[in-house]
Amino acid sequence: MRAAAARVATGLAASTVEAWQELRIHKLRVLLSLVGVAVAVASITATVAAGQIAKQMFTESYETEGRPAHISISAYDDRNGMPLSVERVRPAFQTVAERFGVTYASARISAFDIKATTAGSSKRVELMGVDPAYAAIHRVVVPQGRWLEESDKESLSPALVVDETFLKKLGLQGTPLPTSVDLRGQGMSVTATIVGVTSMRGYGTPRAFMLADSLVHWQTGAPTDAGYEMWVPVEGADELAGEINAAMRAELPGLQVDAYRDDYMAWGGEDPIGPIKWVIIGIAGIILLLGALSLLNIALVTIQQRIREIGIRRSFGATTGRVFFSVMMESVVATVVAGLVGVLLAVAAVKNPLVEKYVLQGIDDVPPFPLSAAFLGLAVALAVGALAGILPAMIAARVKIIDAIRF
Amino acid sequence: MSSEELLRLTGVARTVELPDGDDLHILTSVDLLVRRGDHVGIVGRSGTGKSTLLNLLGLLDRPTGGTLEWAGRNVTDISGRQAARIRGRDVGFVFQQFNLLPGRTALENVMAPLLYASGKEFWQRRRIAAAMLDQVGLGDRLDAMPQFLSGGEQQRIAIARALVRRPTVVLADEPTGALDVETGAMVMKLLDQATYESGAALITITHDQNVAALARRRFRLAEGRLHPLAEEAAV
Ligand SMILES: Nc1ncnc2c1ncn2[C@@H]1O[C@H](COP(=O)(O)OP(=O)(O)O)[C@@H](O)[C@H]1O
Ligand SMILES: [Mg+2]
Repeated sequence: MRAAAARVATGLAASTVEAWQELRIHKLRVLLSLVGVAVAVASITATVAAGQIAKQMFTESYETEGRPAHISISAYDDRNGMPLSVERVRPAFQTVAERFGVTYASARISAFDIKATTAGSSKRVELMGVDPAYAAIHRVVVPQGRWLEESDKESLSPALVVDETFLKKLGLQGTPLPTSVDLRGQGMSVTATIVGVTSMRGYGTPRAFMLADSLVHWQTGAPTDAGYEMWVPVEGADELAGEINAAMRAELPGLQVDAYRDDYMAWGGEDPIGPIKWVIIGIAGIILLLGALSLLNIALVTIQQRIREIGIRRSFGATTGRVFFSVMMESVVATVVAGLVGVLLAVAAVKNPLVEKYVLQGIDDVPPFPLSAAFLGLAVALAVGALAGILPAMIAARVKIIDAIRF
Repeated sequence: MSSEELLRLTGVARTVELPDGDDLHILTSVDLLVRRGDHVGIVGRSGTGKSTLLNLLGLLDRPTGGTLEWAGRNVTDISGRQAARIRGRDVGFVFQQFNLLPGRTALENVMAPLLYASGKEFWQRRRIAAAMLDQVGLGDRLDAMPQFLSGGEQQRIAIARALVRRPTVVLADEPTGALDVETGAMVMKLLDQATYESGAALITITHDQNVAALARRRFRLAEGRLHPLAEEAAV
C-alpha cells in the first residue's frame, strides 16, 4: 500500500517535471496561448469575487433593515388614519408575539425633536425606543460597552446606546463608558446614561436607542409614532404574517392593522449584479475556449515532432499510461500556472486601493476576497488544461515504440 | 555471478506483414544465452534484422515464434506494462543516432530515466545523474545542450543515460555508426569499460568487425539466425 502510494507520488512529481521541461522548450508559443487563459480566468474570478463581495455588502446593508424573515406591524385608526397610541397597541403586540412563540419581537417608537446636551455641545438627535430583541433583528453590533437589557428599565437614569456619529457630534469620543447625557424636548427631560456604542453606519444625524419601557416612562404624553417588528424563521413566514395580522385585529377590534413581510429576500434582492455577471462570464468562457484551442493546436503540432521522443521515453520504461498522463500534464501545468496568474490579477483588480476608493466609496469595511472565487478560477483553469490535453495525450499513448525509434 | 543466466532465446522468430500482404521473415530461429556480465558482439550486414533482434531483447517488441526468457522467467507474451517495468529496471539502450531528448541539457537527459524510478533513485536523480556523467568524463558539461556537443560527447551522454539506473543488460545498436573511426573506438572502449565496472551484460550490434572484436563472445547474424564466430565456436 505504502509502496504503491509512493509510486503514485513520484509518478505525479515526475510527470510534472517532464511537462515543465516540455513547456520550457516551447515557451513562446505556449506563453501566447496562455495569455488568453490567464485573462479569462482573471475575468471569471474577478467577476465572481466582485459578485460575492457585492452580495455580501448588499446583504449586510439590507439586514440592518431587518434580517429575513422580518415582519413589520403597524396599527392605526381607520376613520382618520392616525396612528394609535403605544399604550394601546404595544400590549396587544406583546400578547400576540407571546402567543405565536416569537422570540425576537420589538417595538420601534420614534421620539423627534430631542436635544442631547453634554458639557461640550448640544445636538438634535434621533431617539428610538426599542426592546432588547432589536439588536438581534437588525444585526446591531456593539463593539464598545453593551446593548440594552431587560433590567435597564429599573434604572433611575435610562440606559442609552448610541452610534459613532452621536459620540463624534457631542464631543464624547474617548470618554470612558458609562457616561451621562441630558435629553430634552417633546415632554422629556432626563439625564440618560450611555452604556454602549454601536458600529452602525451613520448617516449624519446622531442616533440613540433606549428601552421602549424607559421611553414611555420618561416621555410625558404618550408617544404615537410607533411600529412593531418580528424576526421569524423564513420557512412559513408569509403565512405567519397573515395569522399575526388576524390575531392583532382580534386584539384591537374596530382598528386597522397591517402585518407583512418586508425583508430583502421577500422582494427578491438576491443577486445585485446577476445579469452583468453572466455576460462577463460568457465572454470569459469564449476567451478561455480560444486559449484552450490554441493550446490544443500547439500540442497537436508538437506531438508529431515528438513521436521519436516518446519512443525514447518508452525505452526507459515509460508505460502508455504514464505517457498519456505526462502529455496531458503539459496542458494542465500550463493552464494551472496561467490560472494562478489570472487569480492573482483578479485579486489585484478587486482589492485595488483605487477600486476601494472610487467604486466602493464610503464603505469602510469591504469584505475580504472570497476564497471560493479563487478556487473556482483555478478549477476552471485545471479543467481547460485537462480538456485541451486529452487529445494529444491519446495520440501520444498510441505511439508504437519500434516505429518511433526506427532509424 | 557471471554464470547466472540472464537472457535465453530459443528458436526466436520475428515475421512482419508487409503492406502488400506478404510475410517477411526477418528472424527465423535465433538461439542465444546471455549471462550476467557477458559482453556479446553481434555483426551482420545492413538489413539482416539486427535492430529487430535488439528490439526483441529489450522487450520493445515481441517474438512471433520461439521463447524469450528473462532470468528464467518466460517473457514471450508479457503485458506492455510488465515489459515497461523490466525495461526501466534492467535494460539500458544505446542507439546509433544517440536519441538524446532535444532541448534538454546533458544532465536532464541522464536524469530522464530516473523519472520512471521511485524512492531514492527518483528524489536523488540530480546527484546520481551528475555522478554518472562524471564517470563518462562529462562532469564539466552538465548544463550543455546536446546539439552543441560533438558526436562522441553525445554518445557518451547516451551511455551515461543507459547506465544511470544500473541495468543488468545494456543493448547497443550500432553505437559507433554515426561516429568517425577514432571517436568510435574511444566510445566503444568507454562503453565496454563502464558496463564492465557496473557488472552489466553488454550486447553490441554492429556491422563493423572491429567494433565486434572488442566483445568476448561474437556472433554473425545471417538468414535470420545467429552463427557463432570462430572463438565462440571453440568455447
Ligand atoms: N515493421 C516492419 N515492416 C516492414 N519491414 C520491416 C519492419 N521491420 C523491419 N523490416 C525490414 O526487415 C529488415 C531488417 O530490419 P532491421 O532489423 O532494421 O535491420 P538492420 O538493423 O540489421 O539493418 C529490413 O529489410 C527492414 O526493412
Ligand atoms: Mg539497424
